Order: sequence, then structure tokens, then C-alpha cells
Amino acid sequence: MESQRIGDTSSTLSADHNMPYALLRGLNPPNNTSFMYHSTQNYSNQEPPAFDFGELEEAIVLQGVKMSNDDSVRSSLYGSGTNRPAATLEMFPSWPTRFPRGSSKSGGGKENSDSGSALNTTISSRSEANLEPESPISQAFEQQQQLQLPQQQFQEMASDSPRTGVSHTEPASKSNYEKRKAAGSTSDRVTDPKTLRRLAQNREAARKSRLRKKAYVQQLETSRIRLAQLEQELQRARSQGIFMGGGAAGSNISPGAAMFDMEYSRWLDDDQRLISELRTALQAHLVDGDLRVIVDGYVAHYDEFFRLKGVAAKSDVFHLISGIWTTPAERCFLWMGGFRPSELIKMLIAQLDPLTQQQVVGIYSLQQSSQQAEEALSQGLEQLQQSLIETIASGSVNDGMHQMAVALGKLANLEGFLRQADNLRQQTLHQLRRTLTIRQAARCFMVIGEYYGRLRALSSLWASRPRETMMADDNSCQTTTELQMIQAAQHHFSNM
Amino acid sequence: MHYQTESWNGYPAVEEIERMASRNAVVIFSTSTCCMCHAIKRLLCGMGVNPTVYELDDDNPTWQQALFSLLGNSSSSLPVVFIGGKLVGSMDNVMAAHINGTLVPLLKEAGALWL
Repeated sequence: MESQRIGDTSSTLSADHNMPYALLRGLNPPNNTSFMYHSTQNYSNQEPPAFDFGELEEAIVLQGVKMSNDDSVRSSLYGSGTNRPAATLEMFPSWPTRFPRGSSKSGGGKENSDSGSALNTTISSRSEANLEPESPISQAFEQQQQLQLPQQQFQEMASDSPRTGVSHTEPASKSNYEKRKAAGSTSDRVTDPKTLRRLAQNREAARKSRLRKKAYVQQLETSRIRLAQLEQELQRARSQGIFMGGGAAGSNISPGAAMFDMEYSRWLDDDQRLISELRTALQAHLVDGDLRVIVDGYVAHYDEFFRLKGVAAKSDVFHLISGIWTTPAERCFLWMGGFRPSELIKMLIAQLDPLTQQQVVGIYSLQQSSQQAEEALSQGLEQLQQSLIETIASGSVNDGMHQMAVALGKLANLEGFLRQADNLRQQTLHQLRRTLTIRQAARCFMVIGEYYGRLRALSSLWASRPRETMMADDNSCQTTTELQMIQAAQHHFSNM
Repeated sequence: MHYQTESWNGYPAVEEIERMASRNAVVIFSTSTCCMCHAIKRLLCGMGVNPTVYELDDDNPTWQQALFSLLGNSSSSLPVVFIGGKLVGSMDNVMAAHINGTLVPLLKEAGALWL
């Protein structure tokens, strides 16, 4: 039996949710409406019920059918003598207004949203039932899907305006009930639809601002957590001596620089591959023709590298000149955004034995010319810096912008110097290729590749070296660590 | 290094430039503010060369245009260098020539360098 079931349900409700007994009993209207009234109160005070929803919905549906035919019940329920026209509620046109959805007093806070959803489901299902009695449950579930946003609309609806065949539902708390009660008494006095609409709009506005505040607070919370995580990461990274540079997160790095970094790392992979190719080719004692192909391939590989640098220099010359794309150990020897050709040749001279007399002369003169060219470029750059200093330092406040424009023009020359430096490096490598025989050239490039590979390895070993924190036997610990590192390095090098 | 001042009259034809260029062993067309020009001057002087420098400051932009037309599209920037009356090019050409060992013989041939 319905009433019995209703009674059971309501008692279940009260048992589950500890509703104030007085509230439950004190508002007990005539029998056949008790469930509806109860339901509103119940839901207004607590979390969604844990009982069998399907049964409840059925009960509600049937109850609703009864309700729609019972004017007197409606009046007694809401304490006002008039039927509110559904038109009042058409301010929320997205929802069918024929049977206004479950409404509740404004003021559903965070804790009520869940109960609101459950409540709205029941009410909407019930109101839908009046239209389509055959599928209340599916509709209820459908309603559940769209709960979050429309929910506020539900809850904003003036609950003190009685509606045709719908009882008001309140996913609000006890205070909401009291508000409702107050509003109910207010509605006794204020029955003017305009005022009601204004009140409803106020409620909705209040609801919206509450929700906005809630969203904002949640955003703040997540940001705070994220900040704490980032700080932790940073701390960890710093303690390991790894400098993340100007934008590992990608925020500070220019797109040209980021592109270059990516292409450079790919170039490094290619470099490793080509070096091992050279090594195996040398060990296999290939004929000169085959070796030439590999050697020329390595020269082209470096040509590609300088081309990449040229492209990157157009968009971000400072990135290249700073050497941030290199490893720390390489950066130590940085000259104008790359390696110093004369230094490379100095290193090679010892490794390239045996050389013919002519070759020795050629290599030494190459070293000398590159040294002169480097010197000239360095002096040119120095003059640029001096001129820039004068420009930035000088000028009154009035022509500050003009001075800036002049300075910008001078800075543009930086790209020219970087280009000339790369040109010098490229020419040096080509000259080496021309001066040496194929086998010598193959060995030469293999040595160059290995050299820079070791330099990079040195950088990573340095970065990952353990820090000694003990003061006492700091020295002994340090020695042991270094020894271990050297052994590791030797092992690494012997595999190259 | 000695600086020449000339009174430019009329539109500088390319021949005019070549005429000037052939007057001395090493001729540099430059600008006083250009830092790359400074670099090339340092380079040549460091090698013991005594180049003739024509400063084409802003009052004669047409000269630069004529020079760049000689260079073609490769690198239209100052400095522009002539050795022995022949066009060598701008900075990258000079550097490449120096690295591949052709610059010194060229200078010697033009009489700008002695052993």
C-alpha cells in the first residue's frame, strides 16, 4: 500500500538521516500528502537517501497524480490561497515549465548539492510522470545527468509560490527550511508576481554567486597544491645541481630556441650514430671510396648543424650565443656561440699523427689563420659591445626611445657575428677535410666526435656527482668519489 | 691603413667603384659605425696589410646599393673588400679565403704583403 510504503520510507529517511523528530512530525499534513511534505523536509536537511530509489519514485509518481487533483491539499500545504501560475517560472525557459521542476529554497550550499540532485531527480520524475507516467525512472536518471547547472535553477525557484501539482522540494539545510517557512509567511503577504519574480531572481543570483565563489575557492586550492608540488620539485632539482635553464617548462623559451633545442638533440643522436659508423668503417679497413662516402656524410652532418644554427639565429640569437643549449662543460669553452676552431685544431694536432710535412704545414697554418680570424671577430664584437654600452648609457630622458631604437639596431649586428663565427667553424672543418687523406680525415672526424662526446659525458657526470655533506672526512670521501667517477668515466670511454 | 675622402659626384656607377678599387692593393668599403668592418680592418691589419678604407657613411646610400649589386644576392652587407682591383666579397668571403689559404697568396700577388 502506498501510504504504508510512504510511511515506511519516511521512517527510513528519518532513521538514516537523523532528521529532527519535531520537524518531521510537526509538519505532518494530511495523510496523503505527508510523503511529499516529508520528502521536502527530509531532503532539505540531509544527504541523498540510501534507500531504494525506484520504490520511492513510484510512490512519488502516484502521489503526484493524486496531488494534482487536490486543490485543498495544495493550499493547506503551502499556506497560501492562490495558485501560482506556471508562468512565473518561465523565467527558466530551458526547463519545461508546464510542470515546474522541483524547487527549493535558495541557499543550497555545497553540502546540499548532492541532496539537491537526488531531490530534483525525484521531483522531476514526479512532474514528468504527470506527462508521461510510463517512464518516470528513465527520466529521473536522465535528469540526474544534467544536474549540476540546472540544479541552481531548481533551487532558485520560488518555493513559496505554490504550483500546480508540484510540491516544493528543498535540497537545502534546516535553515533553508526555516527560510522557506519565512518565505512562506512572506508569500502570505506578498503575492504579487513581480515581487515574487524579483525574489526568485535574487535567489538565483545569490545561488550563482555562491557557486562562483565555490568554484574560485576550489581553483585556489588546486593552485596552492600545485604550487607546493612545483616548489618541491624545484628544491629537489636545485639540490641536485641541475639548472633547468630559462624554461624547461617551456614558458620562457622562445619558439625558435625550443625548435633548435629539439633539432639539436636529434642532431646529437645522429652524431653518435655517425661516429660509431666511422669507427666500424675504420676498423673494417674499407676501401677509400666507401670511406669517402662516410666521411663526406659526416661533413654534411656538420653542415646541417650550422644551417640549423643559422635558422635559429634569425629568431633567437641570444639563445645561441648564451650557449644554454650546450652542456655545462662545453659552455666552459664557449666562444661566440660554439667551439673555438683554433682550440679544436690544437687538440687534433696531437691525435692526427702521422702527417706528411706538407700536411703539418697546412694544419699549422690553418691553426694560425683561424686564430687570426677569431681574434678579428672578437675585436669586432668588443667594439659592438662598447658601442652598445655608450648608446644605452647615454641619451637624456627625452630621447630615451630614440636611444633604444639605436641600441636595437646595434643588437641586430649580433646575428652577423654569430653567423661569421659559425662560418669560420664550417670552413675550418672543410679545410681539414681537404688537407687530410681519406683515412686521416675519417680518423680526424671520429676524434672530433669522440672528443665532444666525452665533454658532454663529463657534464653529466659532474651533474650527477654525489655531494658530500659530512664535514669530518670530507676530503677522503671526496677522493673516493672522484676515483669512482674516474673509473666510471674510463669504463664509459673505453666503450666509445 | 689610410682613409680616403673623395667628393662623390653624381650617381656612382659600378665602374666608378671598380676604378676606385683598382687604385690600391687592398680596398675596403666600410662604414665608421659598422662593427664587422672594424673586424675586417683588424684582420687585415693584423696580417700586416695596409688597406685603403672608404667610409661610406649615411650621406651616400647609393654607393652601398651599387656595391651590393656587385656582390649579387649572397651577402648584401658591408664591409666589401677588393684585393688587387678584384672583388673578394664581404666578411664571409674574406674569412673563407683566409681559412682555405687563398687570401695570403692573393695579398702577396697584389703587393699588399711581403714575405
